[in-house]
Formats: sequence, structure tokens, C-alpha cells
Amino acid sequence: MQSNQPKRTPLYEKHCVAHAKIVDFAGWEMPIQYPAGIVQEHLATRKSAGLFDVSHMGRFRISGNQAGAFLDYALTNYAGGLPLGMSHYTILAQDDGGAVDDAWLYRFESDNFILVVNASNKDKDWKHLQSLKARFTSVVLEDLSESLAMVALQGPQSEAILKGLLTGGALPEPKRNATSVASLAGHKVFFGRTGYTGEAVCFEIMVQANKAGALWDILLAKGAAPIGLGARDTLRLEASLPLYGHEMGLDAEGKTMPILACPTARFAVADSEKKEYVGKAAIQCQLAALERYKKGDFSDSSVLPKRIVCLRIVDKGIARQGSPVFFEGRPVGVVTSGTSVPYWKCDEAQKLTEQYDQRSVALAYVDCQLTAGAEVQVEVRGKKLGAKIVKRNLKPGAAVMAVVFE
Amino acid sequence: MMIDKQARYLPTHEWVRKGPGKAYTIGLTAYAIEQLGDIVYLELPQVGRELQKGEIFGVIESVKSASDMYIPMGGKVTAVNTEVPDNPDMMKAEPYGKAWLIQTEVSKPAEFDGLMDAAAYEKFFETEAH
Repeated sequence: MQSNQPKRTPLYEKHCVAHAKIVDFAGWEMPIQYPAGIVQEHLATRKSAGLFDVSHMGRFRISGNQAGAFLDYALTNYAGGLPLGMSHYTILAQDDGGAVDDAWLYRFESDNFILVVNASNKDKDWKHLQSLKARFTSVVLEDLSESLAMVALQGPQSEAILKGLLTGGALPEPKRNATSVASLAGHKVFFGRTGYTGEAVCFEIMVQANKAGALWDILLAKGAAPIGLGARDTLRLEASLPLYGHEMGLDAEGKTMPILACPTARFAVADSEKKEYVGKAAIQCQLAALERYKKGDFSDSSVLPKRIVCLRIVDKGIARQGSPVFFEGRPVGVVTSGTSVPYWKCDEAQKLTEQYDQRSVALAYVDCQLTAGAEVQVEVRGKKLGAKIVKRNLKPGAAVMAVVFE
Repeated sequence: MMIDKQARYLPTHEWVRKGPGKAYTIGLTAYAIEQLGDIVYLELPQVGRELQKGEIFGVIESVKSASDMYIPMGGKVTAVNTEVPDNPDMMKAEPYGKAWLIQTEVSKPAEFDGLMDAAAYEKFFETEAH
């Protein structure tokens, strides 16, 4: 089944025609950037609309009478309680409370779910789900990754672009994570108001693989800018969204990172006591630790010694994955993702101007006691740069995304 | 691809040119800048710093990565182009002109002749690119 030949999405030819720079990503030949470059692609997404080929990600269909029950057992979130026409963030957990992968679950029909997983973890996830399926008799697990393509359209103009192309059905309700099945330029599509950019106006669109090229061309013709994996990474980092292998999975020392070390993962873990699921006991311990931390009780940090925080680098310079972090002179952790990201400057009315600048941001895995406001240092090439732990900006529709900068 | 016929080159894509006056001027090639993509940060040495041939004189960072820059000839830094770190975009337009990086007083002028000339460098990056 496994071959070492790089794989291509149904949109590969489109990327070549657009003169994208192609790189190997998790065994896929993917566009890292188009001629506009990472900075302009990032800015285009924030100001108008960016179009991403995300067909390299894995798409599994889970159907049958027990689909909901199976997913409840296999995933951390409450799949059975996911309303029809909605989607949510979820995690495939290990027994020890670490993550096999993080994923997005869509419920387009009542016993018909689609789970979107990371390209780099797809084979591992498939095996994991197959092994858990044994105890459920009425579940069908299918790999649709090849037959169903997927693109993301993200940014303030994306809704207007799609509205003009609807030929049947409707866009999802205007609330985050809503889904719908509709017809776009004559093609049957599955919509989710989801994405990996932090944009308030965001869509992911699944379409039959042989229709993906036509849809791609139409969306570009309507003004969307093609965006490569380079800007996809700066956009998600600016929005402080985790990436498996950085903020989830194994840490720099090769140890399992507890799922709830990542604040975003809190949204993926069901509050409900209703269900049994893989990793529940370990995750309950992590939840209890978070409750203690909230009250300022750090007397027992064995379950959750470190957590992911957002950093703003105050001094000139760029923190990168692996840069050590210090607090009051002692080592407290390490940067998991970091780069310089562009942003549009805002006027007094919080409207985007024509001017942009760069800012140096990072995510880091540091001692659990460190929270927003703490001043730390990040070591880059032997020099210690001043940095500050900042809050994630969760204001929907805020003009300046994500990392709060004041 | 732009190239400066008067300059000499390192396989790591730095160029060095004689002048102005007795100084030597050092920068990064158009090919390297294109490969890096958007440049977002540049770290250059202090004036007065002495460096041996092949030592790291600075760092250039794109969105994706940080790369060291190596000095093609040993010597003392006599001038640093502070405009470039403030506006790295200028490297795309004038990598051999206004976007020079440092000037040095070299210790061994003979090192110049040991470096790749423009024709050799052109061949070198064409091979590297394929």
C-alpha cells in the first residue's frame, strides 16, 4: 500500500501552471508558495480571500448505525452530540492522554460523518481507527482521501465569492463550524465554516476529485489568491493554532505532550461525563490539573508540567522551533513554532490600511506556572531576546488577528 | 538571473567585489535571495569586527528559515549597510548595488583570486538548481 513515490493532489497541475514552488510535504508534492510569495499570500488572505489546496489531508467517511457511538469512543469530543449540519474540533487520543492526531469532524448527514486528519498522520490514524472499530458491528469506515478533494477559501471576501457561485442549496448558517451540502458552479460540494487561518469568514469545501480543478479555476477567476503551505503556516501561527508535531505529539525530548497542554485542545475535549473514550482517564487527570492551576494551585504539576503559550518577541530577532526559553534566568521550556509574520496596520477605527509590517511571534512549551503577562527570554544564536507571554486574541472579526500585541 | 561580472563568489552564495577605494564590498547573490523568498530579518556585524575567511558574518532569515552568511575573504569590517536590515526588500531589486551588506579592509588580497569568478558561479548555481 505504501510507496515512496511522492503523491500529487488533483490540483497539482494547477499549482504548476501557476508557477508555484513545489516541495515535498509529508510525502506529497505541494505548493509551498506561488510567485506572490509567503508575505503577500498571508496579507491577501487577511484582506480579501485566500484559496488553499488541502487535498493532501486525509478524509475518512464514518457511516452506519453505530457511527456516532464509534466516534464517541475513538475521539475526545462528543460526536454523538454533534448536531446535524455542524462540525467540531476533535482529537484521536492515546491511552496515556497524548494525541495520535488532531482532526476535524463534520456531520453532513445524521449517520454519516467525515473526519479530516493531518496528511502526515493519515496512515497511523487509519490503523488506529481500524483497531478501535473491532468492537462495533455496524460501522463502515472508508478512506475518501483520493475520491474527494478539499480546498479552503479563507478571508473577508470569501463569502461574497461563494455566494456569487451558488447554483443550488445554501452556504452554511453564518456561525462558526456550521456545514451545508450545496451546489457550487454546478458541482455538488460539502461546505464547512472552518479553517486553519483564524479568519472569521472561512470555508472549507469538499468536492469530487475530478471537479476540483474546475472549481479551483472558478474561485481564482472570482478574485481568490492561491496560497501555499508557507503562508498556511504563518497564518495558523499568527492565530496561535496548534500544528501536530509542534504543539501536539512528542515534545523536543521525545516525550508525549499531554493533550491539554495545548489550550486550543480544550475545545476538543467533551465536558460530558456521558461517554467512555480512549484516553479518558488520563485526560480527566489533565482536566483536574487545569482546574487546580486556575485557582493558582501548582502544588502538583506532574500530569501537566508544561503548557503551550503564545509569545511576542519584543527584541529584534526571530525565535524558531527549538529556541530555549528562560524565565528569571532559568530554563523553562522551548519554542515549538516561531517566525516573523506580516500584518496589515490598522487605523484608529480598526480598519485595515494599505501599510503592513512584520512581527515576530512564537508558540512555546513552557512551565505550567507561566501565564500571559510573564516576561521571558528566548535564546537565538546564543543571544537572549526579550519576549512576553501574550493572550490569544479570540475576538471574532478582530481586524488584527490573533496574538495580542500591546 | 542577475550577476556581477566583476565580483567573485562563494558556493554559499556570497559575493565580494573590489572597491570603493581600497575596501572590498560584500553581499548576497540574486540567486540566493530568490531561493530564500521573502526576507524578514537580517543580522549584520559591528564595524571593527575582524573575521577570518569563511567565518559567519551575519544571518539572513526568510519566513521559513535562518541562514548563516560567510565572509569570502578575511579582514576587518569597515562599513555596514544599515539600510538593508530596515528594508530587506531592497535585496531583491539591487543585490549587487544598493543592497550591499558590508565593506571590509581585507588582510590577504590574494584570497580574491582563489574565489569563483562570475562564469564559474553561474555554472555552479545552475547545477545546484537542477
